[in-house]
Amino acid sequence: MAEVSLQNVRKSFGAVDVIKGVDLQVNDGEFCVFVGPSGCGKSTLLRMIAGLEEISSGELKIGGKDMTKVPPSNRGVAMVFQSYALYPHMSVEENIGFGLKMAKVPKADIEARVAYASKMLQLDTLRQRKPGQLSGGQRQRVAIGRAIVREPGVFLFDEPLSNLDAALRVQMRTELSQLHQDLKSTMIYVTHDQIEAMTMADKIVVLSAGLIEQVGSPLELYHRPKNLFVAQFIGSPKMNVVPAKVAAVSGDIAHVSVDGGSMLALPLRGGKVSVGDVVSLGIRPEHMSVSSEGVMQATVKLAERLGSETMLHLSGPGGAAIIVRSDGLASEKPGDVVALTMPAGCCHLFDAAGIAIVNGALI
Amino acid sequence: MFPTAIEKTSKLTQTTYKAALPIAVLLWLLPLFAVALTSVRSIEDLNRGNFWGWPTSLNFVQNYTEVFTRSPMALFMLNSVIITLFAVAGTLILSCMAGYALAKYHFRGNLVLFSIFIAGNFVPFQILMIPVRTIMIDWIPLYDTVWALVLFHTAFQTGFCTLFMRNFIKQMPDALIEAARIEGITELKIFWHVVLPLVRPALAALAVLEFTFIWNDYFWSLVLVQSDEARPVTAGLQALKGQWLASWQLISAGSLIAAIPPVLIFFLMQRHFIAGLTLGATKE
Repeated sequence: MAEVSLQNVRKSFGAVDVIKGVDLQVNDGEFCVFVGPSGCGKSTLLRMIAGLEEISSGELKIGGKDMTKVPPSNRGVAMVFQSYALYPHMSVEENIGFGLKMAKVPKADIEARVAYASKMLQLDTLRQRKPGQLSGGQRQRVAIGRAIVREPGVFLFDEPLSNLDAALRVQMRTELSQLHQDLKSTMIYVTHDQIEAMTMADKIVVLSAGLIEQVGSPLELYHRPKNLFVAQFIGSPKMNVVPAKVAAVSGDIAHVSVDGGSMLALPLRGGKVSVGDVVSLGIRPEHMSVSSEGVMQATVKLAERLGSETMLHLSGPGGAAIIVRSDGLASEKPGDVVALTMPAGCCHLFDAAGIAIVNGALI
Repeated sequence: MFPTAIEKTSKLTQTTYKAALPIAVLLWLLPLFAVALTSVRSIEDLNRGNFWGWPTSLNFVQNYTEVFTRSPMALFMLNSVIITLFAVAGTLILSCMAGYALAKYHFRGNLVLFSIFIAGNFVPFQILMIPVRTIMIDWIPLYDTVWALVLFHTAFQTGFCTLFMRNFIKQMPDALIEAARIEGITELKIFWHVVLPLVRPALAALAVLEFTFIWNDYFWSLVLVQSDEARPVTAGLQALKGQWLASWQLISAGSLIAAIPPVLIFFLMQRHFIAGLTLGATKE
């Protein structure tokens, strides 16, 4: 059992607070992804779990044991670095077995474990090569192999795919997911790429400026973001946000007027608003469509044709930038004025501080 | 790239370059050539004032044998070898460890300590003459032994070498060391198995540089040593001066013998030597 729990964990470098109090529970066998923009503290948080950065205050438990002050080697974790951090002077098998050799594990045992890991990662034929003779993807696999042979309770990945080219990244993504299913270990994975987070995670932790914005499953974050930050960070292209005002409230229905005059009736489902509130209306690109029944007028600025779909970049009321995911064969061209539908069940409302008042009703 | 490769310049520049280079090399080697010629002259030749002309007789064997019979040249060479090998080894060991600590450990005063190492390089060594001599006589009784020179060279060269090693190790990614640390490898083993193999090129370059520096030292050989038993070859050459008459042919022969080891080392490890001069100067 290797669940990881953080309680009010903080980190400061001198007077600068980098992690400002994080509470988090990562369950045994879970694939947890830390995601956030650069500088949000996600790597620092991972390094604190690894033991490479001291925890300024708070408590870290791994497998139920307090690990706050335990040196990295005794935490039962293995880490894969962004730069792979392979020892350049050692061959693939020496790299993978180095930790075991230093720990005086019997030779036969090392050989067995290295063989197992290199087979699993398709490195069998490359065992005598030096890291310099390997491609980026192969190096990454060696780094993962080095983690596997230690049989750790928790795997830590620090942006492991960001040095790979796009095609390889997609491939390694599926390989890592496969690896997680095979090993069933707890994995914590840091990335700034929300697609990696969405595709691999059981649980996503969105961080911003040293604080957790939201924790949840990928679809939960996608469809029920707690605030504007999460709403816009998860999803690509990002959620459209249009400034709006509450014009009237009748029972559980809010009548919201979007800049430019169109009026929408949105069910509040328990959310509280008052007449006159300034709010932001959020809706994802795939939930809007061009239709004669549309409620909002917008001008097409650019049509990005991706083949399977077309991204229409529009200028909405008051100049708000709007993106609509449309059919691959959509006929709209730049300069066209179109009407956009905004189904009430797909709309999110955020208050002036960016906190969600009501989320769409899709899940 | 600067300077522009000679193949890419105009025809005139190329011709001038090709003509000037051999002349410059000849001019530069002329004194050395004269010394080599003198080392095989007879004393009569020199007395007659034949300093630059072709020697009337070639006294190669006689002169070079006499260097070893007239003075304890073999002993001087041995002293030089001992001093240089121990001092180079000591310097490399100390500077490698200090450089690693300064490059990769965060501790209070790291930068101050590093600054002191750098500042040490700016001290003109001549001002240390009297204090070092006093220390070697009164506090560390090594005066007039080879160990005085070993100790001094080790101490003095460590400053430059630490600066060099620190900057080299600084370029090594932290992740390498962190990866080893997470794997539970002790700090000493990280140094030995991860850091040392990777700084080998820098160590080789430094070894060649330091060998030359220390072997060629003359100043401290005069200051810290008085008797033949401890004298290295550079200072030992004066034993060949002759009592009433300067025996230039012997001094020349002795000088050439003294110059052989550094020249040999240079040619054997030329690659490292040049790497050492430009190491860290450019990004890869």
